[in-house]
Amino acid sequence: MTRKHTAAALAMGAVLAMTMPTWAGETVGPGGEKATPTSALTLSDAEVAKLKDGKFTAALLWHTSSDFVNAVTAGAKDEFARLDIPVVAQTDAGFDAAKQKSDVETILAKKPSAILALPLDPVTSAEAFKPAVAAGVKIVLLSNKPKDFVQGKDYVTIVTDDLFQMGKHAADALADAIGKKGKIAWIYHDAQYYVTNQRDNAFKTTIESDYPDIKIVAQQGIADPARAQDVAQALLLQHPDLDGVYVTWSEPAEGVLAALRAAGNKHAKIVTLDLSEPIALDMVKGGNVVAIVADQAYELGRAMATAAGYGLVGKAAPPFVVAPVLTVTKANVAQGWQESLHRDAPKSVLDAAK
Amino acid sequence: MTAFLKATHPSRYVIYVGFLVIFAVFAVVLRDDGFATPANLLNIVQQTTPVTVMAVGMVFVLTAGEIDLSIGSIVAVSALLAAVAMRALPWPVGVVAGIGVGAAIGALNGALVAYGRLPSFLVTLATMGVFAGVGRRMTDLKSIPIENDAFNALFGSGSLFGVPSLVIWAVAAVGLGAFVFRETRFGAHVHATGDSARAARATGIKVLRLRFAVLTLSGALAGLAGLLYAGRLNGARYTLGEADLLTVIAAVIVGGTRLNGGSGSIAGALIGSLLMGMLNNGLILMGYQPSDQMIARGLIILIAVALTLREPNR
Repeated sequence: MTRKHTAAALAMGAVLAMTMPTWAGETVGPGGEKATPTSALTLSDAEVAKLKDGKFTAALLWHTSSDFVNAVTAGAKDEFARLDIPVVAQTDAGFDAAKQKSDVETILAKKPSAILALPLDPVTSAEAFKPAVAAGVKIVLLSNKPKDFVQGKDYVTIVTDDLFQMGKHAADALADAIGKKGKIAWIYHDAQYYVTNQRDNAFKTTIESDYPDIKIVAQQGIADPARAQDVAQALLLQHPDLDGVYVTWSEPAEGVLAALRAAGNKHAKIVTLDLSEPIALDMVKGGNVVAIVADQAYELGRAMATAAGYGLVGKAAPPFVVAPVLTVTKANVAQGWQESLHRDAPKSVLDAAK
Repeated sequence: MTAFLKATHPSRYVIYVGFLVIFAVFAVVLRDDGFATPANLLNIVQQTTPVTVMAVGMVFVLTAGEIDLSIGSIVAVSALLAAVAMRALPWPVGVVAGIGVGAAIGALNGALVAYGRLPSFLVTLATMGVFAGVGRRMTDLKSIPIENDAFNALFGSGSLFGVPSLVIWAVAAVGLGAFVFRETRFGAHVHATGDSARAARATGIKVLRLRFAVLTLSGALAGLAGLLYAGRLNGARYTLGEADLLTVIAAVIVGGTRLNGGSGSIAGALIGSLLMGMLNNGLILMGYQPSDQMIARGLIILIAVALTLREPNR
């Protein structure tokens, strides 16, 4: 994932910690709601026809601009286009809660029927989105819930990544790559951030409970992804015989990869999260990287637009919807990029995969 | 006519004309999109009030030949401190704490600049970083809700005789600021110091004390801006104000204040601030992508600056 994508995920996760516990290995909603897969959201032909005739409009209120947001936007716009619902405005709050409130006020001048939004944080977003609720706009939320908002009344539903599954998929992929036994290092994000914390811990939990012959011999936190290479170098000095390394997301994984290359280490396998061109390139060239676990940003956007359709035709939506996770390896890299971001993998990666 | 134009510095008024032109363009293009509705126009004024308040302080600072880069960080510290204080103590204590901490940080800037003889650019660049960090540490990145209705009404969503409180704050800051700036001895000293500190000193103006004062004032106004954000959002968050510094500087400069001191305009700063808000608002309503909104906003500001700052005799 790009730095921005991570920053987005991190910021949105900062306060999620309070609202979305992960219990017993599955991602559950803010009120403990069971997760419904995005694929379960469907509109009947009659409902689609009703939406097409409804002269509805939609607005997208994002927290930032990033690769991730672009993919979510693309998914949402394609689905809205199918439903003949024009997207009349799109905003980027730049992680600024005050700007987000201004954005809500501004777009209400266009009287959209539906809003897709990532509220920056539960506390300040409650006030920011109140005018939209009061105006009767159908709101579909990405990942974060404004404090005291009631599902079905104030908003249609929440759509989010399946964070636990992302960590678990990473654990399964690394275990497969090293023959389910050996010594690994766990490089986690050393910060209080819900998104990375959930994913990192899900990896660790899965290894500890499902793979008794794999030992986590080194645990190393990184606070600054730009320093990942230094951290990895020190770690490799202490543990030159590692079989595998988990890295919390792809940007620090680039640093870890650089450290392995500098040490001439071709043995240790890397698994990380979120698509990135340099990481994927190493993977398809048969380097240290064996798998990248990715979310389905495009599908998140598509599901949000469908959920807006639920709200507009007055159909009850499931309270908490999660997008599936996918493990991208050399074998499915082209398809993986399509499924996650709905666009072609970078040319360098496709060429190298041939 | 030429003499009249020369005497009145036509470039100073370009911004007002430009503001009206841009307003007219939005009003026509977005006639079906609610731009020129009273509710939307009121939104713009309310959304820009914190920037307007900080811009008033910045006019004093720039005119005196200094700069204050720390205002954005002060906003967050002030808002968070007020929010935390109000959890346990009566709300006026939160107000005093918020504005007080802004003034205190401003005074620290002022002391380092005036008595430490350090350049304000570097001092406030440093304190910007320090207090951005302090803001993050204060509540461990957590947002703090404010549930006091009186505070939220006074600094946010309330109104007096039908006039929203944020509009009243903007009018008060600009009115009072313009009066002090143009009609008082302090204002005259600010101009004189920015024009030539040496000459000002020779006429008996206490230049160091004046530098200390303008930076303290700027800090206090940034503290007030923090309260206005907190009231508007019914809560405080460490990111408040983070993006405001350049908006404030752009608003002030577009409004005809010189970056290197000696002359400024509070009314111009108000127009500059409203222009920034109007551009944000209008470009969103146009339905542009965020990236295109940024490009358009940048280009329009560039044109505005070019028209405002091109002095024929330079």
